[in-house]
Amino acid sequence: MIAVKWFFLILPVLPTAVAWAETPPLPDSDNRPATLLQDGKYILKSMVNAMQNLNYQGTVAFLRDGKLEPMRYSHAVNKGHEQEHLLSLNSPLREVVRETGKVSCLYTATQKLIVEQRPFERSFLLDMPTNLAQLDAVYDIEVQGEENIAMLPALIVALTPRDKLRYAHKIWVSRQWFLPLKVVVYDLAGETLEERVFTELEVKDALPFIAIKQPSNAPSLPDSPAESSKQAAFALTALPKGFTEVFFSRQPMRDAEQPVDHLLLSDGLASVSVYMEPKNPTQPPVSGGQDTPSVQAIDAINFFSHAQGNYQVTVMGEVPSETIQFIADHVQLRGQ
Amino acid sequence: MNDQLNQKTSQLFDNELPYDEALALLAKLRSDADLAQKWDRYAAISHALKTEQFVSLRPDFSAQIAARLEAEPVYLLPRNKPVKRNYAWLALAASVAVVSVVAVRWLPQLDHTSPNAPAPLQVAQQQAPQALPHSPVTTRKADTNEQPLNARINDYLQAHNGSVYADNQNLKSMTRVTTYNPK
Repeated sequence: MIAVKWFFLILPVLPTAVAWAETPPLPDSDNRPATLLQDGKYILKSMVNAMQNLNYQGTVAFLRDGKLEPMRYSHAVNKGHEQEHLLSLNSPLREVVRETGKVSCLYTATQKLIVEQRPFERSFLLDMPTNLAQLDAVYDIEVQGEENIAMLPALIVALTPRDKLRYAHKIWVSRQWFLPLKVVVYDLAGETLEERVFTELEVKDALPFIAIKQPSNAPSLPDSPAESSKQAAFALTALPKGFTEVFFSRQPMRDAEQPVDHLLLSDGLASVSVYMEPKNPTQPPVSGGQDTPSVQAIDAINFFSHAQGNYQVTVMGEVPSETIQFIADHVQLRGQ
Repeated sequence: MNDQLNQKTSQLFDNELPYDEALALLAKLRSDADLAQKWDRYAAISHALKTEQFVSLRPDFSAQIAARLEAEPVYLLPRNKPVKRNYAWLALAASVAVVSVVAVRWLPQLDHTSPNAPAPLQVAQQQAPQALPHSPVTTRKADTNEQPLNARINDYLQAHNGSVYADNQNLKSMTRVTTYNPK
């Protein structure tokens, strides 16, 4: 009898409790319990929610390999429809818009417009999966204190990999809005590889959507729709722990006689691309003129390229060289 | 009689009592408990006047201290022996150090002048062993080999990550490839 009484007492509260547990509330500086602010996964969930549902703008500094690129950034949302906008502050001037899985980049001086289908990406700031279970399997997620970024108090969430196949990340999440104020990627030695940081940020009730109009005489690259990876000329016999296939396309590239196969892998935070195209003897070697292929680096991105049968296979991503090498070693041409 | 004793006690405090009379008064203080208490009161008044502080002590305070000191056990602890330093070893070590410094400064000159001197080791010029294409990569070469970025890699970069749009348009010419060499 007592159990039945308790059941009817809890019943009205239950839907609210379930909804609260599944969907973190929209940011609002806060009456949240202090224990939740010590839960890294809860903060990341709230951050993903805030990134999708708030209108915000500011100046972001992108730092890579000692190079600084400041850009104006804005995110607008209207009835679930999102748009990201980047505007370079320094030459060469360019404007980039991400909308419904499509990225358009207009170089102002040359009026060159590049349009790409990128359904696998969600943000220029930080690509965080909506389902954190994938990250939870390969990263330790914990809150490591508080700091001020751009005069805003922030909680520091550290994502420390449980193996040496991916890099550590730290995200400074605004206490007030749960937006990412700073993101730093560290190499295996703990050195900073890449950094994105807001130098100022404001949240608005609404922001306008910006349209990039394609110049009438401007050349553009064709769209690259997603396809099934079963169409690829290769298959991967093994993947590093936590990585899954997220996107495949077969698209033409500059000077390529035939389309290039592109398979994208991700562990939820780090991504790796595998490219395969028929060897072209008229083109300079992709390996950078080296006799012996080896893993090379462009800033934070490692890549490895070598000939496999009649194909050139290239593996590239923001992961340690061991991960690149592991994936390259497990590329198998179909039919072999 | 008491007035006379009080006056002498007061004179003793002020260092005005003659020597023989002072000795006689101190002898009397040992045998006369009342006089001893009076002496203590005078001492307290004198201390309070001089320091503007007053600490009240029990009459037997000094007697208890003395009794406790008497009751303290005697500890027979071994004394630390003074360290005898062997300065001969220190002198020998210093001599070896001096000879080493002199030898390091002079030996290279001897190598150049001596016709039978062996060729210097060319460690820095030795080539690293060629790497297997699929060997595990574990170390980063300190002196990186840089070359212009291949155009195809530039295309791959753009297709791989949309954040390259945040980089400079002249990615191709500005970015350099850093080589990693396998162990």
